[in-house]
Amino acid sequence: MSSPPDFDPSVPIGRGLVLRNPVAVASGTFGFGLEAEAMGQIDHLGAIFSKGTTVEPRPGNRPPRIAETSSGMLNSIGLQNPGVELVAREYAPRWADWPVPVLVNVAGASVEEYVRVVSRLDRLPGVAGFELNISCPNIAHGLDFGTEPGAAARCTAAARAATELPLVVKLSPNVTDIAEIGHAVEDAGADAVSAVNTYLGMKISLRRRRPVLPGAGTAGLSGPAIKPMALAAVARLRRVLTIPILGIGGVASAEDALEYLVAGADAVQVGTANFSDPSASRKVLEGCLEFARSQGLGRWSDLRWRGPEEAGTA
Amino acid sequence: MTVAQAEAAALGASELERALDLEAECTRLLALEEDLFEVSFWAPEMARRARPGEFAQIWTGPDHLRRPFSFSRADPERGTVSFYIGAVGRVTRRLRRLREGEPVRLLGPLGRGFSLPQEPGRSLLLAGGLGAAPFPLLADWLLGRGEAVVWLNGARSPAQLYPPELLPPGLAARSQVTEDGSLGRAARVTEALPAELSQFHRVYACGPNPMLAALWERLSSGSAAGRLEVSIEAPMGCGFGTCLGCAVPLPSEGAGYALCCRQGPVFPAGSLDWERLRRQPAHLE
Repeated sequence: MSSPPDFDPSVPIGRGLVLRNPVAVASGTFGFGLEAEAMGQIDHLGAIFSKGTTVEPRPGNRPPRIAETSSGMLNSIGLQNPGVELVAREYAPRWADWPVPVLVNVAGASVEEYVRVVSRLDRLPGVAGFELNISCPNIAHGLDFGTEPGAAARCTAAARAATELPLVVKLSPNVTDIAEIGHAVEDAGADAVSAVNTYLGMKISLRRRRPVLPGAGTAGLSGPAIKPMALAAVARLRRVLTIPILGIGGVASAEDALEYLVAGADAVQVGTANFSDPSASRKVLEGCLEFARSQGLGRWSDLRWRGPEEAGTA
Repeated sequence: MTVAQAEAAALGASELERALDLEAECTRLLALEEDLFEVSFWAPEMARRARPGEFAQIWTGPDHLRRPFSFSRADPERGTVSFYIGAVGRVTRRLRRLREGEPVRLLGPLGRGFSLPQEPGRSLLLAGGLGAAPFPLLADWLLGRGEAVVWLNGARSPAQLYPPELLPPGLAARSQVTEDGSLGRAARVTEALPAELSQFHRVYACGPNPMLAALWERLSSGSAAGRLEVSIEAPMGCGFGTCLGCAVPLPSEGAGYALCCRQGPVFPAGSLDWERLRRQPAHLE
């Protein structure tokens, strides 16, 4: 994949971490990367965001866990993961040999739990940074950190104190004003934000007269269905933040990715598309580079929308 | 097995190196009774790699997640792979309308298939309705290794039965049962088991979760319990272990879940929690 002359495809996301291109893969859609590595689908990536990792192993939610919706899917996995100890001992050493930086997505039920996961992995070879998951809609407590600015800031500041590595905070869209949370985590020391996590959704079985998924029936909606809402969230965040934004939500093609860069993202994460097409991220990247070449871009940020012309139209 | 152990067991993902992701043209669509059909695709390398019980993820377009189907046949000489499918949902109805030459995307082979004998012996194949899907390929492999194969073919009604004329030649015995009794004995598969199960070195079963649960209830206390392998279904998002959607409950407290796509779809029957599994939906809604 060659780039046009004088075109710089790289993207800095803080603390000296420079993604060689703006196409990453989203947490929860890529495991810990081993499956994709076996299938020959990691070498092109700008970064990998791992499955959400907690202090203790979690078995995850009772099935069924996923459902298909119009242009999207619902998931309620419940943060199934093997716990930080196994990630530290088994996965990180493998990542150290990969040509792609891996940022560990961190989840917890308390500030202390987030800090314990970060501390255990900090400075391990193979761990390039962290993404704080303060926005999982499928476990109790997880959402609370992402919906209240004070709690989001406390969680971010505590993690910040535990590591010098790049710290990305993944924001929930299930809030009144995402900019308020974004502002709080930037002030608390986040190097970048990911926007957005899944939207709270539900699918109903009319035949059974109940939700398709168990428990309360709610789950996280992802895929092309959420792209317009996620683009609006990214554009809103761009108005108030100075740190980089990783756009997430329905990126399945180069056009989708480029739209996020126009809206104000510095990079994107391909998510749900990885499930249907293991080479989706490669196609997204190739298409973006081809676009840059044909348009004679110098940097990706040349694409960025500079904002509304008149005050009050945002 | 704890979650951590399951993850550790999955650490090597090298089996996924065998998976191919390719566009394949439909070579034949054999319409059967009601909504059933067998569809074949030109995929020579996949036909060489596919093993009994493994599956492929089929994609007809970007507006849906892929759907998993066990290989019903894999013919390296013809260069084709085939799937036995019921047109019950949006994607399977679309597949039912495929014409010769039309392409789909296939990802496979995926999953862990049936274990195959080291020494020839006797195998019993128990098929419930669409659960016959993986058995033509399994029978091919077993017969090719000199195994004596008995096929018990069951369904609600004759229209839902795997067509007797498609059963492979060379079976040691075959019998059909239908719940409504209009073809063969009026019985469920679990009510028509051969009397002497101990003569079988291997028992393979595939069908709806309630059928498999009933079968396990029958066999779990007997000598055949350790020889029963089942191929099961779960709502699946990716097929290769990353979405964690296709969780299958394991029996002991704190054991968590196996992934149908990587640790299955074939499991030793005794490794699963049938109380929970019998109520679990098999397909993506």
